[in-house]
Order: sequence, then structure tokens, then C-alpha cells
Amino acid sequence: MSIVEVQNLVKKYPSFVLKNISFSVDKGKITGFIGRNGAGKTTTIKAMLNLIRPDSGTVRFFQKPLIGNETEIKKHIGYSTGTVNWYPRKKIKDIIDSEKRFYETWDNEAYRKYLDLFLLDEHKTPLELSEGMKVKFNLLLALSHRAEVLILDEPTSGLDPFSRDELLKIFSELKKDGVAVFFSTHIISDIEKCADDIVYISKGRLVSAASKADFIARFSANGETLEETMLRLERRDMHA
Amino acid sequence: MRNILLKELKLSASFLSYLFILFGFMFFIPGYPILCGVFFVTLGIFQSFQTAREANDIVYSALLPIAKKDVVKGKYLFVCFIEAAALILMIIITIIRMTALADSPVYRANALMNANFFALGMAFFIFGLFNWIFVAGFFKTAYKFARPFVVYIIAAFATIAVAEALHHFPGFELLNAFGSEHIVLQLITLSTGIITYFLMTVFSYKVACKRFETIDL
Repeated sequence: MSIVEVQNLVKKYPSFVLKNISFSVDKGKITGFIGRNGAGKTTTIKAMLNLIRPDSGTVRFFQKPLIGNETEIKKHIGYSTGTVNWYPRKKIKDIIDSEKRFYETWDNEAYRKYLDLFLLDEHKTPLELSEGMKVKFNLLLALSHRAEVLILDEPTSGLDPFSRDELLKIFSELKKDGVAVFFSTHIISDIEKCADDIVYISKGRLVSAASKADFIARFSANGETLEETMLRLERRDMHA
Repeated sequence: MRNILLKELKLSASFLSYLFILFGFMFFIPGYPILCGVFFVTLGIFQSFQTAREANDIVYSALLPIAKKDVVKGKYLFVCFIEAAALILMIIITIIRMTALADSPVYRANALMNANFFALGMAFFIFGLFNWIFVAGFFKTAYKFARPFVVYIIAAFATIAVAEALHHFPGFELLNAFGSEHIVLQLITLSTGIITYFLMTVFSYKVACKRFETIDL
């Protein structure tokens, strides 16, 4: 069952256009969102979160349009990015204390569980965290209010291989609980390891939105890894 | 509404916003342009906008389960909270100066503006200017604040200069009333200041909400 539907999303910038992006994210599935740097992944994610205003197209969560139902929908989604620092000089505990007031579904037990699992010290500030720990802190915020959909912008970038593996295992655990995980990355091996579905965009246009098996059947040559397929497709695109 | 205000007070605010409320005590200083105290309070609020920008506060707030316009509401609630705290201090000091210290020689010999209800009305007006020019101006981009702050500084100091000098012009002497002298006129000027503050704040809030809806974060 689709719990996120993006339809014909268009966003025009002077030097970049996101053209008619459409895909859906299913409950209890991990969807990898791939494309090289500048392909439009972050723009798409920002439009999905109403951080930018698309020129046309719609975003629906739980069969409801985002515009007009923003407050209710955001209670059930979690967002994380590996690159942004929220309140770098505030203690994690203070940020959490403020954040949890906004969620009726805030789960202190889950918060403690992930705090321990991620080895995060709530008396530290985001500034004192390494890049990998910052990702985990953002994930902690998203996971502690029992989000049904996680939208993660390059969560594995900057993580060491061990932490990446750990994170992918967490995604798989969340999937078992029925959580939909939608994450962008340019680390294709992460997609290979855990994704059920793949959304692939290039130069602002959708190349494919399909299950991983269908994607491989359609694009991969014999014996190619997903990464090799991607590289070949991107090179072909460059010379087109 | 309570949650977004608490978030502003605990996470987004700079300590200087709270500290600079004490500039309300400038209403006690004789021979000094007391309305500068109002400007310094807004300077403290400005610090919070700087701190918030460094902390990616606007994007963080926009991701919370609130409508986009509630992000704007949070900022206005915070700004009005600090202004209200400073105004309460200024009102108390003004009442002390109008009663217990009404005949104090240091205030009687003051060439500048006296602390009375007209001064308070002007304080409301300058806070209104801050909300109208700076806060609504900030929400054009939710990022750039130098230009609206410079425009506000010019408007605020022009207002301070006019208000401080006005009672020296023929026909405006009554504005420098001591104690309860010309109390009706004083109350009219105070009421005008309060109404103007209210109108500028509400109008700028509506403009800021419209602007914020259309910008990309």
C-alpha cells in the first residue's frame, strides 16, 4: 500500500529544472532514491516536506494531500539529513525536551533505546558530535516519535562502513515494524544491500521508479553490480 | 502556540535578548534620550535572529508538525514577548517618575524628553516599527536580515530624534508634561502609540505569513 505518492512534481530554477517526478513509497518497504550529485534528490525531498514550493505537481501522504494537512501529516513522518546541524551549541537533551512537546506519539522508551543503541550522550551538543553521530542524532529525533515514514536525505554519507552497516540494519528492523523508509544516497552499495524499491533520477528527470528486481532486470547487463549499472547509465547520459 | 513559543524561548533565543530587556531601565536616566532604550531592546531581539539563523532554526521549525505560518507566528510571539517584558519595565519606571519622582530636580532640569505617557506611546510606536520593518522584512527570505535592520535603524533613530525634540517646538510643549499634567493629552498619545503598535504588528504578521509561504527554504 502506497503511503507516499509524488505526482508530476515540477520545480524550475534558473539553472535547473526538476521535471515531472512521479513515484510512490510503500508501507513497510525501503525505497532508495539514487542519482548523482545535483540530480535533484534534495530538491525532491524538500518539495515532499513543503520546504520548497513546487511549480506544479502534488505530494500525498496517507492518501491526503500535504498542502492543507501539513500539521497532521508531519506528526507521522520523520526527516533526517546528514549534513545539517540544528542548534549546534545546545545540549541534545534541551533540543529533545523542546521537540517532544510537538508529538503526541513521542515514545520515551524508543528514545532511550535509540540513545543507547547509537551511543549518544544527551549532555553533548551537536557541535561536539562527529559527522556520523550527527546523522544518528537526526535519526534519533525521527525515530523517537514513532514515525510511520522516514524521509532521509543522504543519511549514510560521511559514515564509516561499520556505522553504515549498522544503520542499514536499523532500516531493516524498522521495515519489519511496517515503517516506510525513503532514503537518498549516491552510495549504490547501500541500495544493493537493503532497498526493496529504487527511484532513480538524472539531471532532474525520472529515469525509473520500480522494484529493485525490476530495475536490475531492465537496466543491468549480465553480471553487473548495481553500482556498475549506475555508472554505465550515467556515462551514457553524459554523452547523450 | 505554547509549544512554538517555548521552542523560541528555549532553543532559538539569544541570551542577549533577555539581557537587553534591562535597557528598559534607561527610562530612569536623566538628560539622556530615553527612547534609545527601546532601540537597544530591539537590538537584543535582533541577536536572536542572528543566533537562530546560525542554528538553522527556520528549517528546523518548518519541519516540526506545525503549519508553515506557525513558524512565523512563533517568531512574532517571541518578539512580542520580549517587547512586552521591556514595556512592563518601562511602564513601571514611567509611573515612578510621574509620581514619586515627579518633582525631582534632575528630571525637571532635563532638556530632553521626559518619561511620561507620551514617551511610552512612542516606545510602543518604535517597537511597532521594528515588527513592521525588520521582522516582516526578514521573512522576505527568512535568511537575509541586514537590509531590513538597517532600514529599521534609520526609521527608529529618526523617530527618536523627532520625539526627543518635538516639545521644543511651539505648540508641542505640552508633550513634555510632568506627573499628571495634561493627563488627557498624555493618555491620547499613549493610546495612539498602542493602537499603532497593534496595527503595525498584525499587518506585518499577515504580510510575513504570505511571504514565508512562497519562499523556498
